[in-house]
Amino acid sequence: MKLSKKISISKILIYTFLILLAVVYIAPLLWMFSVSVKTNAEVFSSPFAIPEAIQWENFQIAWGIGKLNIAIVNSIIVCVATLVCSMLFGTMAAFAIGRMRWKLSGTVMTYFLLGMMVPVHCILIPLFVTFAKVQLNNSLLGIILPYITFSLPMTIFIMVGFFRNMPGELFESACMDGCSIYGCFFRIGLPLAKTGLFVTGLMTFVNNWNELLLAMVFISDVDKKTLPVTLTYFVGPYSTNYVQMFAAIVIAVIPTIIVYSIFSNQIVEGLTAGAVKG
Amino acid sequence: MRMRKVLAVLLSTAMMTGLLSGCGSKTEEAAAPAAATTEAEAPAEEAAPASEGDVEITWMFWDDLEATEDLMSQQYAETIKRFNEADNGYHVNVITTNLEEYDTKLNALIAAGQAPDVWICNPGPNMTQYVEADVVMDLTDVLAKDTAWNDSFTGGIFERLTYDGKIMGVPTNFAAACVFYNTEIFEEVGVSTPTTWTEFMDVCQKIQDAGYSPLSISAGTPWCLSMVAGYLCDREGGPDNLKGVADGSVKWTDPSYVNAANKLVELSKYFQPTYLGDSNDQATANFYNGEAAMLIQGSWAISQINGNAPEMQDKCGVFQFPGVEGGSDPNRWIVKTDNLLVSKNTKNVDACIALLKEFTGETAQKATAEIAGKMPIIDVEVDYSKAPKQLSYVQDIMKTLTGTFGFYNESLASVEAGDKFDNTMVSIVMGDITPEDGLADIQKFYEENVYNK
Amino acid sequence: MEKLFRDKKAICLFIAPGGILFTIILLVPIAYAVYISLCEWNALTPPQFVGFANYIKLFTNDDIMKTAIKNSLFFTTFSLVTQQVIGLFLAVILSNLVKGKNLFKNIYYLPCVLSSAALGLLFSFLLNPKMGLNQILAIFGIQGPLWLMDAKGFIPLPMWVIGTVATWQYVGTTMMLYMAAIAGIPSSLYEASYIDGANKWQAFKNITMPLIKPMAKTTISLTCIGSLKFFDLIYNMTQGGPNHKTDVLATHLYNEGFQYFKYGYASAISVVLLAMCLFVTFIINRSIKVEDYEM
Repeated sequence: MKLSKKISISKILIYTFLILLAVVYIAPLLWMFSVSVKTNAEVFSSPFAIPEAIQWENFQIAWGIGKLNIAIVNSIIVCVATLVCSMLFGTMAAFAIGRMRWKLSGTVMTYFLLGMMVPVHCILIPLFVTFAKVQLNNSLLGIILPYITFSLPMTIFIMVGFFRNMPGELFESACMDGCSIYGCFFRIGLPLAKTGLFVTGLMTFVNNWNELLLAMVFISDVDKKTLPVTLTYFVGPYSTNYVQMFAAIVIAVIPTIIVYSIFSNQIVEGLTAGAVKG
Repeated sequence: MRMRKVLAVLLSTAMMTGLLSGCGSKTEEAAAPAAATTEAEAPAEEAAPASEGDVEITWMFWDDLEATEDLMSQQYAETIKRFNEADNGYHVNVITTNLEEYDTKLNALIAAGQAPDVWICNPGPNMTQYVEADVVMDLTDVLAKDTAWNDSFTGGIFERLTYDGKIMGVPTNFAAACVFYNTEIFEEVGVSTPTTWTEFMDVCQKIQDAGYSPLSISAGTPWCLSMVAGYLCDREGGPDNLKGVADGSVKWTDPSYVNAANKLVELSKYFQPTYLGDSNDQATANFYNGEAAMLIQGSWAISQINGNAPEMQDKCGVFQFPGVEGGSDPNRWIVKTDNLLVSKNTKNVDACIALLKEFTGETAQKATAEIAGKMPIIDVEVDYSKAPKQLSYVQDIMKTLTGTFGFYNESLASVEAGDKFDNTMVSIVMGDITPEDGLADIQKFYEENVYNK
Repeated sequence: MEKLFRDKKAICLFIAPGGILFTIILLVPIAYAVYISLCEWNALTPPQFVGFANYIKLFTNDDIMKTAIKNSLFFTTFSLVTQQVIGLFLAVILSNLVKGKNLFKNIYYLPCVLSSAALGLLFSFLLNPKMGLNQILAIFGIQGPLWLMDAKGFIPLPMWVIGTVATWQYVGTTMMLYMAAIAGIPSSLYEASYIDGANKWQAFKNITMPLIKPMAKTTISLTCIGSLKFFDLIYNMTQGGPNHKTDVLATHLYNEGFQYFKYGYASAISVVLLAMCLFVTFIINRSIKVEDYEM
């Protein structure tokens, strides 16, 4: 009797805490949405008030001016291509590093991890000059390649952990059944690492979806620009159109939230599936 | 064993196909730019696609031409449209970035040997950098030959665009920094526009006593504060100040600079309470919302003021920055031009010159004044009834002008020196550092980075 | 088994695509950057070799660099402590939650999927003296401080503010990774320990803690490296101002390279930054020993 009461009090405390924290997380985002349906004058005069009249046309204008339809398609092409390639290359390398036995695995791992430590600004100009020579600037491929490269270290870093911690017996029994090393990777390693794949996949997608600097410098053509670049259209040299910018940001955020909700639910399924089979 | 080998090969090919199909878009993309290289950058202006046989050039600009709310940028867009629609055998493609990334991208393009044919540039060290790197075309001869074009420009406009006697760029408009004031507040408080520092302080005090913020300014956007600092430095020491620090004959710690910095601190009592955090936009909003009585800004603010608060047009007056007692000439103005530079390596000089002429032609220049509210750089009849009222006030008081100088941060030895000046002024006003120490700091910077070179 | 996992050809095949891409796109430019750090270069004229002049200036005569290193170290420590404590705490609570687990997890992770640039802008709005938090405080008669402009103190207020916002944004990643690690622990282990009479705290200390150690290493490394090269939020909230008081290494690098066009000097900063990241990773690898647990 006493015990159950204690538990329920701690439960109430925990849920109160979680809900308060959730408010801290959601309030700024709701505010961002409310700004996106105001007028510019309203933003300055009463930033916190509920919008007097909802200005849906902000979205319409932002969509048209920012050419968001083209930008979204470009962003999707770039992000999906990057996602697929970096996941494949990354897990392959991570499998070799984390699961296979060879002398240089540690060195190669460090080599890849170097990539996480490089500030993008430091290679921007050399990379641009090189790409310009081979006509890769001003093309989507020109940003996909660096994106893959920059996504690799994180993928490898996290996936190596997953492969290392996999039970060895599974691979052993697969070997007994005559499974090749490639079979081990595709049929056992990958399915077991599903959780890791979802986490890294989500991170990769989101990072590249939001990447601005490279895209800005590398792409000149309007019909090849990605979403974050178009968001900067609203920042003028002497003044900024806040409401339309926030409207465009809200539009840009929606796909990430969709992808996010798909992935985040998969993570749980992946976990249980992996646990059952494992 | 053999079976395994076959499998390995099969799998690796499977991987490769996966690789290729995964990046299906990639291979197509790779082919596309190779094919498009001859056509330079693809068109940004979709309205008028290049017709067959048109000579194509590129122009780089720091604001998006379609999304922009800035009236001047909109006029640039009009000019480009006109140029492309005209049957002149030329077509210009526009590359835009936002202001923040503009220099980064431009430098990257130049470093990669893909400089745009024409680009827009700030005067001062920014432009000097391109001139010194020898990537800008010398326009002296072109202007000398084309006397009609040359003569159309307002006298003295090329002063800051001339290097070693060579004209390296063409201006498209200019803006002047002045004090905007709310006539209603001035009437209510019973003050008139000040012409001297003492009067200015007196006016500020009275306005503050009446419960308004006398001055709206942004220290969050350092160049806004630095503009006022620049005026004070010039009012104290005149043109010699800038020349002096450039060649080392005047020290930053000399009395005229110390006086200027002290006056800036004195003035800061009359700034709106939130000036340290306010952005440029907010400082301007304070003024047009009627919270602050005065705003020190460039004339580009006119369109922003009228755009957001149309009623301001009737109660917004303009006066020039007051002089200081015992100081220098009070009729000198801070002005700033937007300039076009032509790449030295352009293959289509004629097209570039044609574009420059379109920008400096009468239609474009009239619109500059009448619609965008900036000052034209050629002598052109402007119908001031069409232009914002404030612009004609500015033109009126500029009649007594005796000389101009650039923004202080754009007139110093380098972009970095300009930043140093801006930031030090912010620190001084915040009380983070005393005026003497702050100026000694700039002097030290100059001794290490400028005089030693 | 052994032989299969020592297959050199397979190893090469697995490493090759990533490795080649990495070398071309990352290593070559880095090598170039190291070379540039020994030169004076503005990207417009050919680089001029100046030896170690950039590094000497960096360490002997650059006050902003001192501020930047101080701020970067502060930011890293702050992020590390807050993200580890809060992230692990949330992960443990959420993992044991019966109802609403996914809902809360999704909410807390949400800012991670948004662009730092947009969030930086959002928070610079919220912390603006005229329109944000201070107006709410004013209702209660509190005069709010200048959140992003106060330059006083060894660690100025804006650094604490930015640190807090960064934790707000990124703690979700740490939480998510810990949750993944905790979910990977077989529940049979807990059941066994409860049968043996362990309480929840003991189970956490003796089962959860040791088993998530590999993940701890991961999250600590990620946080440290991410914080050292942190750029977006700071650039969008204060741009390193007022007067470089909130500059960190990455913003200093950006200013020198992309505002003042001193690419040589900027490259020198990036080499220092790279070296710091390597050093930190080395320390982490040395101090956290991970034993392999077969689960």
